[in-house]
Amino acid sequence: MKRRFGFLVAAVLVLSMMLSACSGGNSNNGGANEAANGGSENNGAPAAGEKITLSYWTLFSGGDGENMDALIAEFNKTHPNIEIKNTKLEWAEYYTKLITAVGNGNGPDIGISHVTGLDDVADAAGVDWGTYNENLLNATVVDGKHYAVPIDTHPLIMYYNKKLLRDAGLLGEDGKPVLEQSADGFTTFLSTLKEKLPSSVTPFAFESKDQDPYRLWWSLYKQQGGNDVISEDQKSAEIDADKAAKAAGYIQDLYVKGFIKKNDPDFYKTFQSGAGAITMTGVWATGTWESTKGLEFGAMPIPKIFDQEATWGDSHTIVLPVTKDEDPAKRQAALTFANWVADNGQIWAKAGHIPSKPAVIEKQEFKDMPYRSDYVAVADTVAFGNPSTKSWQIRDLAIVKYLNEVWANKMTPADAIAKMQPEIQKVIDQ
Amino acid sequence: MQMNRWRADAQALLFLLPFLVVYVVFTIWPMIKGLEMSFYKWTLIKKMKYVGLDNYNQMLQDTAFWSAVWHSLLFVILSTPAMIVLAIVLALIANRRSRLQKFYRSVFFLPSILSVAVASFLGLFIFQPYTGLLNTLLHLIGLLPDNKEIFWLNETNLAWIAVTLLTLWWTVGFNFILYLSAMQDIPEDVYEAARLDGANDSQIFWRITLPMLSGITKTITMLQIIASFKVFLQIYIMTGGGPLDQTRPIIQYIWQTGFRENNLGYASAMSYMLFVILLVLSAFQYWLNNRKGA
Repeated sequence: MKRRFGFLVAAVLVLSMMLSACSGGNSNNGGANEAANGGSENNGAPAAGEKITLSYWTLFSGGDGENMDALIAEFNKTHPNIEIKNTKLEWAEYYTKLITAVGNGNGPDIGISHVTGLDDVADAAGVDWGTYNENLLNATVVDGKHYAVPIDTHPLIMYYNKKLLRDAGLLGEDGKPVLEQSADGFTTFLSTLKEKLPSSVTPFAFESKDQDPYRLWWSLYKQQGGNDVISEDQKSAEIDADKAAKAAGYIQDLYVKGFIKKNDPDFYKTFQSGAGAITMTGVWATGTWESTKGLEFGAMPIPKIFDQEATWGDSHTIVLPVTKDEDPAKRQAALTFANWVADNGQIWAKAGHIPSKPAVIEKQEFKDMPYRSDYVAVADTVAFGNPSTKSWQIRDLAIVKYLNEVWANKMTPADAIAKMQPEIQKVIDQ
Repeated sequence: MQMNRWRADAQALLFLLPFLVVYVVFTIWPMIKGLEMSFYKWTLIKKMKYVGLDNYNQMLQDTAFWSAVWHSLLFVILSTPAMIVLAIVLALIANRRSRLQKFYRSVFFLPSILSVAVASFLGLFIFQPYTGLLNTLLHLIGLLPDNKEIFWLNETNLAWIAVTLLTLWWTVGFNFILYLSAMQDIPEDVYEAARLDGANDSQIFWRITLPMLSGITKTITMLQIIASFKVFLQIYIMTGGGPLDQTRPIIQYIWQTGFRENNLGYASAMSYMLFVILLVLSAFQYWLNNRKGA
């Protein structure tokens, strides 16, 4: 009898351990925003003295986190009617929590993602869409409706080590790289770096897998005018195989020719320590390089390798998730906040992001910060993907996986693209 | 008398209640809910529609599912025997009368106190190229030419070796403690009698120590198989399941399906399949042990 019971216990243990491994994120994470809302049950603008409290979920850490805190503090100070309460969540679990919380109506008043339409309250909050960068704004519009307020764009750009480029004779009088904007031009540039610099220096400090090479691939794919990897109606995969393979082939060559240190465990450190002549990553690295002692660097848009200028980029956008009470006063206050953050983009730009309003770029405070002005123009050539609820599943589960094999030289570009197509379709169909 | 027992039971229940409530809410209830989910198309947000056995059908045809199951099984095959042999060897070392006895005990057990994230990141630092501990050591003793690097985590076979070694180092301490305490339970007079009869060390080990440990070995084997089958985080952190999902274990696939692809229904169906697999394995082992014991 005792033994039989022992077996039963073991069976229950097995089951429960598995479930706890798989059901972790399903608990209710909302509720934080149920807290006081100073009595503005009725719609319309809040009366004087009434304070609206808004919950705001963010996923920023490090420098971004500090800058966002500074923005919130400043906003709360200048807007006595509105109080923003920031809840910081881990980036890795942010979207899971947001989706679950919004799903059961307990989402925050303000968040960072695509969830609901904004046009109905935008006018009331005094938001003028015309003051935003058109290219960034378009990425947040679906079927002619605004779904989010972009506060920045953070594209892939190129950084170069001025000292190393000077050593190799590739730094011009103006402090900019001597680089012909073409496929051969960039290859020649890298091979000169390889020849002229000591072997301990990597010409191109870069990741050997995952996101940054994917971003470069997307940029080069878009530079040839490649269409989006999914159709407009989001029903089918329609990757442009020739252009995709050409872009992948070009990048594969950079690895094969030894311009990039293979499987570099930390290419940020490689560039930071002066062991890499150039690197490509998101603009958020600007703040990091700036705080690195002795690193003399410059920033520029990634070179035009193919026909037209285009680069990978994304935007941080502020959204107002659907909540249970749908209080118009709260919505209006939230949008006021979002617009204010965009208006004060110079604070947010400290980390390196490009502000979403052209007017901010003209501010003296922004101009006083070095490097940023060298790449603000990229905002107009950022190539966004079609808005899709599955965009990152498509990227991580169907595209990046095969591109990694191409970079490792285990798969030909054409094979990889051919395998992607059905995989993307599979993600869409699910 | 009867009354007293009833009172005692009620008292016990009162003390068990706090745990019971937590257990029911966070374990039993999700288990039942999971079974329900597996018959629906169910996203992270809500129940979509009843699909009957569709999720289970899809699973049977899903090659990604079966290869993930195989990867978990492969990890069981790689890790379980190594884990048991190593634990016995370490226990033998620590069980010898020696001044270093206490030192051995703590050193062998120490890695087990690390959390999986800490252990896995140490694993990354050990196995990464250029600056990793292992490659640096190999360079130092000249086994690896200076201009060459071994990419432990980028080649499927090497990645399995790396993950298995890391797991061995990290978790062998628990099995080691179990073996050590079992060894100390073996009465000294058995050894004494054997020595009087002229048995040498190897005979003593094979004929006395090992057979006397068979009970605990059965328990450890079963626990280890279940633990190894549930491998996830150390692989996820060290290889991400790559290259090309060649090291992706079943738990990672379930997690990806549920929380990345937003498909809790299918993820639940796979969880239940995994439950059945583990149940069958455990039942088989239970039957095997009992038959031998009889």
